[in-house]
Amino acid sequence: MASQGSVTAALRVAEVLETIANRCVGPEGGLVLCTKPTGEVLLSRDGGCLLEALHLEHPLARMIVACVSSHLKKTGDGAKTFIIFLCHLLRGLHAIGEKEKDSFTSEDIQSHERHWKNCCQWKSISRALLRFQTQTLGCIVDQHLSRHYLSAFSSSAEGRTLCRRSLELLLEPYFCGRVGRNNHRFISQLMCDYVFKCMACESGIEVFEFLDNCFVELNVGVTGLPVSESRIVDGLVLPRDFSVYCPADGGIRMVIVTEILQPLFSSSSSEFVLDSETQFQASQSWIMDRTKTVMNHLRSHNVKLLLSSVKQPDLVTYCARLNSISVVECLSSEEVSLVQRITGLSPCVLPELASQCHIADSALVRFCKPLIVRSGRYAHLGLVSTCAFVPHCVVLCGPVLGLVQQHESAFHGAFKMLRQLFTDLDLNCMIQTKERRNPSPLADSSNRESSHSPKTGKYQDVVAKNKDKLETQTRLEVYPRLGASDTELITCKLWSAHKETSIDPSQTNEIPKRLSPEKSRIVDNCEVFLENNPTGNPTAEDTRTEMSFKHLQVADNPGEGYTLPVTYKSPDTCPSQAHCSSAVPAGCVLPVGGHFEILMHFYLLNYAKQCRQSDDAVISMLIANALLGVPKILYKPKKGKDSFPHIYTRALRALQTRQPIVSGQSGFESVAGKYQLLTSVLQCLMKILTIDLIINVKRQPQKTGDQESEDEL
Amino acid sequence: MSRLEAKKPSLCKTEPLTSERVRSTLSVLKGIIASCYGPSGRLKQLHNGLGGCVCTTSQSSALLRNLSVTHPILKVLTSSVQNHVCCFSDCGLFTAILCCNLIENIQRIGLTPTTAIKLNKYLLGLSISYLKSEACSCRIPVDFRSTHTFLNLVHSILTSKPACMLTRKEIDHIGALILKAFLLTIPESAEERMVLGKSIIVPLKGQQVTDSTVLPGLLIEASEVQLRRLLPTQKSSTLRVALFCASLSGDFSNAGEGTLVVHYQVSLENAVLEQLLNLGRQLVSDHVDLVLCQKVIHPSLKQFLSEHQIIAIDRVGVTLMEPLSKVTGATPIGSLYPIVSTTYGSVKDVRSARFGSKYFFHLLPNEATICSLLLCSRNDTAWEELKLTCQTAMHVLQLTIKEPWVLLGGGCVETHLAAYIRHKVHNEAEAIVRDDGCSQAELHIATEAFCSALESAAVSLEHDGGEILIDMKYGHFWSCPADSASVGNWPDTLSRCGCGLYNSQEELSWSVLRSTYHPFAPQTCLPQAASGSVSNLTVDSFTAKLSGLQVAVETANLILDLSYVIEDKN
Repeated sequence: MASQGSVTAALRVAEVLETIANRCVGPEGGLVLCTKPTGEVLLSRDGGCLLEALHLEHPLARMIVACVSSHLKKTGDGAKTFIIFLCHLLRGLHAIGEKEKDSFTSEDIQSHERHWKNCCQWKSISRALLRFQTQTLGCIVDQHLSRHYLSAFSSSAEGRTLCRRSLELLLEPYFCGRVGRNNHRFISQLMCDYVFKCMACESGIEVFEFLDNCFVELNVGVTGLPVSESRIVDGLVLPRDFSVYCPADGGIRMVIVTEILQPLFSSSSSEFVLDSETQFQASQSWIMDRTKTVMNHLRSHNVKLLLSSVKQPDLVTYCARLNSISVVECLSSEEVSLVQRITGLSPCVLPELASQCHIADSALVRFCKPLIVRSGRYAHLGLVSTCAFVPHCVVLCGPVLGLVQQHESAFHGAFKMLRQLFTDLDLNCMIQTKERRNPSPLADSSNRESSHSPKTGKYQDVVAKNKDKLETQTRLEVYPRLGASDTELITCKLWSAHKETSIDPSQTNEIPKRLSPEKSRIVDNCEVFLENNPTGNPTAEDTRTEMSFKHLQVADNPGEGYTLPVTYKSPDTCPSQAHCSSAVPAGCVLPVGGHFEILMHFYLLNYAKQCRQSDDAVISMLIANALLGVPKILYKPKKGKDSFPHIYTRALRALQTRQPIVSGQSGFESVAGKYQLLTSVLQCLMKILTIDLIINVKRQPQKTGDQESEDEL
Repeated sequence: MSRLEAKKPSLCKTEPLTSERVRSTLSVLKGIIASCYGPSGRLKQLHNGLGGCVCTTSQSSALLRNLSVTHPILKVLTSSVQNHVCCFSDCGLFTAILCCNLIENIQRIGLTPTTAIKLNKYLLGLSISYLKSEACSCRIPVDFRSTHTFLNLVHSILTSKPACMLTRKEIDHIGALILKAFLLTIPESAEERMVLGKSIIVPLKGQQVTDSTVLPGLLIEASEVQLRRLLPTQKSSTLRVALFCASLSGDFSNAGEGTLVVHYQVSLENAVLEQLLNLGRQLVSDHVDLVLCQKVIHPSLKQFLSEHQIIAIDRVGVTLMEPLSKVTGATPIGSLYPIVSTTYGSVKDVRSARFGSKYFFHLLPNEATICSLLLCSRNDTAWEELKLTCQTAMHVLQLTIKEPWVLLGGGCVETHLAAYIRHKVHNEAEAIVRDDGCSQAELHIATEAFCSALESAAVSLEHDGGEILIDMKYGHFWSCPADSASVGNWPDTLSRCGCGLYNSQEELSWSVLRSTYHPFAPQTCLPQAASGSVSNLTVDSFTAKLSGLQVAVETANLILDLSYVIEDKN
């Protein structure tokens, strides 16, 4: 069975997800209680977790969930906003589609054909979106939004440092959306303390990467205690007790082993032949002697702590006890690698231990003692760090396991968010333009072809040469638009390369072209309007897409003949190339409460007004309006002066008069995170738009690849 | 091959608390729990239709363990209470009742979850800081010079578990035993870090409760035949003990992953046995008197040892290993060959003992913090309940050492605290609202919900239809029998308040708890003389109750915060 994939279908799916996300988003949102088939109960406010727990069946929904999860993997934030934003975008597109439909009904086309036509239209919109996202969006952010950036760093003589207040302001709104209303303040304070305890110096922001990678091993969950009992402990806590504990202090050294320290009779794929009973006894006693020697050797080098990733036999633990060496067994491989990363220690091998030489791989430990949290006993080690991370662990308490897990994942997400925030984000607006200057061999050949073409305005020849068989079906026309010049080419913006959209009811296919000259620094943009009158059969449509693909290739090439003076001048949208810094610098933040959305909305609207291309304008209008969806929901419970219309008009007035916007809420959010969210949503939308048919296959899945990717969420 | 099966979509429910079904199941659970509360609580008989033994209980730990709840919200509630009981042993029912009450009350008043949660949190903070403050008149410091408070604490715990089926005399007996066992676990020499010992409960069913006893050292159950071999020791000095954690049965476990080729004539059994006998010879030459083994001792070795007058006890089990190593001071030996003399321990004496139909080896320690509590009861169910109660009492005593306070019990803390909060909020509403950003009306509604939840928890102590009163001076809890509940003769019918601190002969005025009373300031600062003069106070564990209060409010907030329940139907 197959169903048509359309904006309407996607909208229906997204709206269902949106109603769920609406209730959980923002500071007023509630918790979600998920039960697992095993009977476990999980509490969460994490949008990714929520979507995963739903086990959605609809293929479009599953695709959306996959997009959200891949976004979360990158940034650790914004799953619910993703859904809301996507839904608003689809709603906007749907409204455009409805308008289109009205025009269709006048023509007498069968519904099947109409569907095909719709698909083409969505596909071209999707392509236009891609261009808008990759080229225009980054520049808008870069040029306009950067004025409003605040920095999480406080600059001092030693360079960038992170001050406590700004970290608090960052974390509080984050946990507000991720942790239950009961505890978010406490948890954000705890995390703040934790971060500063773990940082070797104030500028040591590389610690976030470490924490993001290893946090699972750096926390211990305890159930049955109130959340307020959660605390930070110095050193590393391993979630198991000592197998052998011998109190020791001062000058403790530690080794890690990954194998059994007792020699065995035979190793795998070898044979041990027993000839006599005495031989057996002799080998038994040799094994015992050997083990004893190893442990004695360890003791003689002041090793008083043995970490083992495997369970050691009785003999080893007995010898350890005799030599007053504490033993912790059964460490997971993650824990071993964490200890290795902190101390720079590598595991010992048996031959090294058995030989009487010096043990190189041992590290100093400040203390090792059992940590008792109510009824649980843990091994508590005071490791000496050799990296930027000062070892500390968090003991997370909560009345139920679900809550402890929620706090753990919120901590983890926060580290991911901070890590993201403190790295530069490339907006790739200028870089792409530069890359495009190096034409590929294929483009070269078509370049030659196009240079053969007589002059401007004779595109059809080019195209005809490229795609001979299309000649009969396609008629190309070059429109003189806007009447700006008697040539048919109009330059547009510096950065935008191609825009293609069909918004015209009469099925106009516009193929704008950007042509960069080889020598001049000014990049011109040509727009060629290509009208296509299809005969109404699907193959014609197919070839048309192919053809327009060719056109793009042509447009890619810098051609001498197309260079024309810039006619459209705007200081805002046409800055010089050197001025462009195409990145969101590390540590850029904006106040919370829909600030980013309103600002982007304003600038996109401005852009749409200035933009003379209708397709570009429509897309930026679409995104601008969809962006408002998030603050609308955030301010929903507020009344009076704090309600959304008031906030919105106040913000717009402030922006128009170039005054700072006053924000009612304290707290910051990462610009890079928000920008990435925006691009992720647009990418997801493009994916949705390119689907024309959903085919339901009723067969056992062939391989597990698909299922695994689902589980990863 | 892994099974590949499409997952069924989950069931997603909005605003779960508004559904009638959830409310009714919640009130059923509350009914079950509340009816168990207190000394006159009703017992619950839990039996599984598929088999297993019947459990008669009124304790939260046994009740919730056996009860199977299906609704996810109830699962959160019960697992939260169970986790609390795991950590503190006591006050589980109180936590569960308070949590249910809070959820019900907040649902009824219809505040938005955000406001309700914020105010609940504020009120909890108020309660905790009051209970921890010096001004609190519900908190009695523990006097370590006498066992008075400890005995009261143990008594309160024993009387609140009616399923143990103890008479007054039996309660006194068991109470004294528990305290004695607890005192035996305290080490004599106080180092910087005191490590409490352990008391091991040994079951002895079918005997009178009054036959229970406490013995220092360890009891190891044995057969009569084994014990008959035990000759009275000739030695006057202490006995030397070897404690093995390795198996002495002659098995061969470290063969490795490769193949082992054994020639036809070679007998590994003989080889191993010879090693074992070598070990025996070493033990004899080291003058060991007692060999204890966690696992099995080879019969030949056993024979050899008994020929040399060495007592051998095997199959001790892993649970007894740590206490054994503590009692004897021996290091568990993990190998057959290198035995160092420092690993040997010692005991004062080994005796045979018979209690009821059971025979035991009794290891008498030289000096150790291990004791055995031989617990008798007439039947299995009562014994299980008694054992749980003893463990609770022991744990609560340990907690009391860490935080040397007890709280007044018998419902007095709850009513007093409610009166205190009402008064505080009544007087300082403006200041509170200014800091918290909510309206005064919301604050008053939430306070009423919180206080009446506390009071309802206290009211749950009464199961016989009596009237619950509160006095207007101390804010304590008074229970008035059902038949004489007329306003006029209250001073005559009432004798003592719930905790037993005050009697009705003072000039007191009462009000019915369920009615609204005008907020008054309950008398703070506990008169020192008052606590000393009363012999039988009902007291609760300070640590457990405080944590129970916190957990209850936190769990209630958690449940109120839910906006979706997603049930995985796979």
